[in-house]
Amino acid sequence: MSRKVCIAGGATTPFGYPMHLTPEAMIANCIVETQQDIPDFHLRDLDLMIYSHFSVHFGKQLCPEWVVHDHLGLVGVPHFRVENGGNTGGSALYAAFLAVKSGLFDVVGVAGWETMDNVTQSQGSEFIALASDTRYEALAGGIYPIYYAAMAYKFMKEHNLTEEDFALAAIKNRNYAADNPKSQWYRGEYKKYNRDLTIDDVMQSRLISYPLKRYDCCLMSRGGSFALVTSEEWAKKHADGKYVLIDGAGLSSCTIRAGDRLSFPGWTERYGKGYPDMTEFAACRHSGEVAYDMAGIEYKKAVKEVDVAEIHDAFSSSETQIYKALHWCDKDNIREFVRERRTFMDGDVPVNPGGGLMGFGHPVGATGIMSAIEVYYQLTDMIPKKHRSSKTYVRDAQTGLVNSHAGTGTSISNFILRRP
Amino acid sequence: MVDDKRMHKIPDEVEYTDKHSDDFRGDVREHGFQFVGYDWAPEEEQFKIYLHYDQLYYWKLAELSKMGKGFLDGELWGTKCPKCGDKFFPPRVNCWNLDCNLEKTEWIKLKPEGHVHTFTIAGWSGKSSLKRLPFVLAYVVIDGCQTAVANELRGIDPWDAEFGMPVKVVWADPKDRRGTITDFWFEPADGWKPSPMNPEKERIKELCQPVYEWVKTLK
Repeated sequence: MSRKVCIAGGATTPFGYPMHLTPEAMIANCIVETQQDIPDFHLRDLDLMIYSHFSVHFGKQLCPEWVVHDHLGLVGVPHFRVENGGNTGGSALYAAFLAVKSGLFDVVGVAGWETMDNVTQSQGSEFIALASDTRYEALAGGIYPIYYAAMAYKFMKEHNLTEEDFALAAIKNRNYAADNPKSQWYRGEYKKYNRDLTIDDVMQSRLISYPLKRYDCCLMSRGGSFALVTSEEWAKKHADGKYVLIDGAGLSSCTIRAGDRLSFPGWTERYGKGYPDMTEFAACRHSGEVAYDMAGIEYKKAVKEVDVAEIHDAFSSSETQIYKALHWCDKDNIREFVRERRTFMDGDVPVNPGGGLMGFGHPVGATGIMSAIEVYYQLTDMIPKKHRSSKTYVRDAQTGLVNSHAGTGTSISNFILRRP
Repeated sequence: MVDDKRMHKIPDEVEYTDKHSDDFRGDVREHGFQFVGYDWAPEEEQFKIYLHYDQLYYWKLAELSKMGKGFLDGELWGTKCPKCGDKFFPPRVNCWNLDCNLEKTEWIKLKPEGHVHTFTIAGWSGKSSLKRLPFVLAYVVIDGCQTAVANELRGIDPWDAEFGMPVKVVWADPKDRRGTITDFWFEPADGWKPSPMNPEKERIKELCQPVYEWVKTLK
């Protein structure tokens, strides 16, 4: 199919915890900001709305997308909601990609939000753990940081990594978030430090679940975001110079219980016996490979071809695990890859210059869209306008990667964005 | 309905002859919506409502009922595919092997022993588990299963847990059992001794101390 799909605009609200903004106002704000960048875009252009929202528990409202939709004045326009855990945003984007690619729609709005500040953090952790198989892990006290820690500990041992190696991602993303006025880190805890965070700060932060400490974990947030997914024809006509192509899109799945992937027949068939065990995200590798194939990127050359990436860093460990799943490094050189800081701004593939989930924040339904918008800003040279300075601007980036991730790696999507 | 051996029987009507509602939910009162207060910030014109919603949930274990009843009786039941022989705990009621095409699995009683595949020391958790911190959550492969199950590893200082260590299943007192995964936990197998302290264990011990202190302050 030759029809090309584009991202032709989008915006994100500030992320915060707490923050005082209703979901309908969040999306309205995002659309207004999008119109400032793309003056030709009008609400009348939208011919499908896809809403991205994870948990109705946080808002005590079923079908909250119905509240948002008619608030925007879009009565009559078809709409539905996508819910896919932490990968809700990525999956909504994937749905929009399918809708435009199929030729059925030309202009699709993807709007996501989460209002996690409606509960305390320990209650919120338990709410989110309702996405695990509650009959087993959750009752025993398991929450997602604990599941991730168990996977990370084994990964750390098998790849000869240390707590400090994981901490590199934690300080990188937070320190880049300090350059992003919308990030939760900059608007919140950064004020306490007013300086770059160090490895020591991470090592001294409170134990969450070994080897993860507080600063190895993402933020619980309230926030919203919006992306405009269109046909190339529409983008050329109405957003010239301010659109990117979605050249590759992949979506894959893995077991709900991390303990069930030691010898899953589906993975054994694809990648051999013992893969992915509990150490790697097979759904990331697979969806990454699908996206690379679609975009014509050789796996081994991916690290050279991708100029900037926004990766789902729910935990510093998971970002590190994803480097390997995306073929940027392997078991033998991951230590050097991490320690040479190749994912920092001056490395060959800057990751999470927008701050990521640890810096920008993680209002689940909005997160994947936020990541896509950050890469979109990079590839359209809008970063200097959107961030506080050009410190986190990757100049001349041609190719970007967006990654969205759910469960314990239960659903993962990857997108390759390119300048037209 | 089509007659196919892979399909699970759905009983028309279920009569629970052995009822334990008083023990388990007699004290739980369902309130539904309750407005329990509000906040007002005149300067910023911000209004917040406190809404409480109480809900009693049921889990019908249905095809997994044998597992729940087994917990009450101190027996560990998993499943096995009669075609390929793969063994599961947590039980899967159909085989995961695409070649077996949803073959219905058979119940098998598992030996209450296994080994730690991976683990972590939790220093933070959900609201209902905070007072148990710090605890070890271990993924254990039970009795040769193809899967690992997560549960608490007790009877050990958190920093003494090890990859691959042999463990046994220990059952809660019969009067405390609820037919759920928390009816049992893991403990080191008889005769297992932790290795001597080392820098990594010291580091974990140091990280645990503030957690112990913090838990003492919880009401």
